[in-house]
Amino acid sequence: MNYQSGMAPARAIEDDSDVEEEALVADYREQVQYEGGMEELDQASLAQQHDEIQSRLVQAAQPLDFQATLETKFQSYDNYCALFHYILNSEGPVDLEPPSYYWAWDVIDEFIYQFNTFSSYRARIARQTNNEEEAQILRDNPNTWGCYSVLNVLYSLIQKSQILEQLTAMRRNEDPMAVAGPYGTKNLYRMLGYFSIIGLLRVHCLLGDFSLALKTLDDIELNKKAMFARVMAAHFTTYYYVGFSYMMMRRYADAIRMFSHILVYVSRTKNFQKNTQYDSISKKNDQMLALIAICVAFHPTRLDDTIHTALREKYGDQLLKLQRGGPDSLPVFEELFRHACPKFISPVPPDFDKPEANIDPIDHHLSVFMEEVKTNMWSPTLKSYLRLYTTMDLKKLAGFLDVQPEELRSWLLVNKQRTKQLRWTDNGLLEGELVNISDLDYALQGVSLRR
Amino acid sequence: MRTFSLSLLPHFPSTAKPLTTLVSSYQLNPDRIKDEVITNILVKAMTQFPSPQFDLSLHLLSPSQSNPGPNSTSDLTEAVAKLRVLNAQLEGAQYARFWVTLDSDDIYADLTTDIAGFEEMIRLRIAQLISQAHREVQTSVLEGWLGLDGEDEVNKFVIETCGWKVGEDGLVQIPKNADNEAKKTEIREDVAVDMFGRVIKRAWEDSA
Repeated sequence: MNYQSGMAPARAIEDDSDVEEEALVADYREQVQYEGGMEELDQASLAQQHDEIQSRLVQAAQPLDFQATLETKFQSYDNYCALFHYILNSEGPVDLEPPSYYWAWDVIDEFIYQFNTFSSYRARIARQTNNEEEAQILRDNPNTWGCYSVLNVLYSLIQKSQILEQLTAMRRNEDPMAVAGPYGTKNLYRMLGYFSIIGLLRVHCLLGDFSLALKTLDDIELNKKAMFARVMAAHFTTYYYVGFSYMMMRRYADAIRMFSHILVYVSRTKNFQKNTQYDSISKKNDQMLALIAICVAFHPTRLDDTIHTALREKYGDQLLKLQRGGPDSLPVFEELFRHACPKFISPVPPDFDKPEANIDPIDHHLSVFMEEVKTNMWSPTLKSYLRLYTTMDLKKLAGFLDVQPEELRSWLLVNKQRTKQLRWTDNGLLEGELVNISDLDYALQGVSLRR
Repeated sequence: MRTFSLSLLPHFPSTAKPLTTLVSSYQLNPDRIKDEVITNILVKAMTQFPSPQFDLSLHLLSPSQSNPGPNSTSDLTEAVAKLRVLNAQLEGAQYARFWVTLDSDDIYADLTTDIAGFEEMIRLRIAQLISQAHREVQTSVLEGWLGLDGEDEVNKFVIETCGWKVGEDGLVQIPKNADNEAKKTEIREDVAVDMFGRVIKRAWEDSA
């Protein structure tokens, strides 16, 4: 298949403090690439460059300033490209140690975060029409922070590190080092490869590919021993995106299981968390509670006490409305979804020539999601009546509900069809077995209903 | 200057769901996909109702492909909007309305023509879903739900294709199956011993 290239466009170097560093890296790369590698460099400059690279590693994990200019965002993209190019395309694995255990996660996290905010920003500029200058720059550089380049980096890191092979070996209790290859035996590659898998989960979810998102985790076991569990933010992110993807695939029981697991874990560890870390987690915490509220509305179930209490405290009113169903519940579903969904990205750059044609990806995914909400909105009312009777005349029940009997027949079918749900057992996240999730079953006999 | 080589680009991995794979692989290159390919995938996904397949495919389309903007519509956005209506009816078990909608506009015939046996597939699926929820059902309901014309056609279809019986009272009898028995299902939750351990531990910590 022929993809368009995600090459960073050549731009003039601005008068910037990074210039020297940039030039050094570019030089370095050229020499490594075209002159056959390190042996041709003398030792002094090698050491100097090593320091430079080391500081770039640290820098790549630093958050970009919230109010960074467009120029800085472009610059940051170029820096990532240069760094990943160096790591991936040097002759053989580069001899670097990650600055810390968290570093690899931080880099991948920041890389995707910047991609995400850049994409949202670009879409906003395209929709508004009052910033012609920036629109022009963005129009001229469609591949900067392009999806394709970002995916390419993540897939390449996974491939180079042979991390999937390593994880498979670990699952079989074999030595991962035996299949790690020249790159994967090095900490830097192994860690980057590993967290790139989590990164892919996130990017595919941001692009709306929920089944592919779950599929990327096929080789990672979600348990206490998982490597990500040692990095709280990674642990948290993984469960949020897995849970969200499950929800979008209508696997509400699995989604609730994911959200519950991580929320309980957070509530039990919050005393050991550093405050700054906890602050960023607390927002996602709220979002996951909102998602649980949505899932519970679709799939009533008993929740862990801690979560149940938190849910009632935070979203008590909303939950009540969701559980009541009907048209009144629709705005609440929308509100909670908007509040708690990831900041979706459009897979393609916006059309700057037709501002009105650029639909916010959140609106797009919400509108698809709301179809299923609308399809199910009568189920709560229906269930509350069904619980009261074991045999019932269809006309009579239709009278109670104030609908036509044939409309009611449709509601009954919808409700019954939705009681079957795929639920995860022990294989890949996409697998599962079809189980009945409701204690309320019935069948129609002519014009009466029996349960 | 700062070029990022794509030469080591791996092939994108294949996904589990063949239907969505095709859309996936075009997700980043919408200009390379033909409108018919998109609509065919959606129609095919639709035949799997009730399931999230259709929605999952929609999520893969770029926002402007699947939602007409205020001043801009294209053939594709119009087609997608039409298919969404059909799919919502199937998902909502509004089967009689589905057949009416399908008949209401020639565009539907165009959109479904590439999927061989589309109507027959849908009819069989509806019949199957009816059998999961009914033990007896009136011919008149079946006529609308299966999109058939007249009692004779209904009787022929349910007897020959479904193997159901038609009673003298005109009620169609559906044989027992795993789903139309309406037996009480027991919802069980397995609790392992270590989970009790957690409860006790937490109670201990709370009081401490």
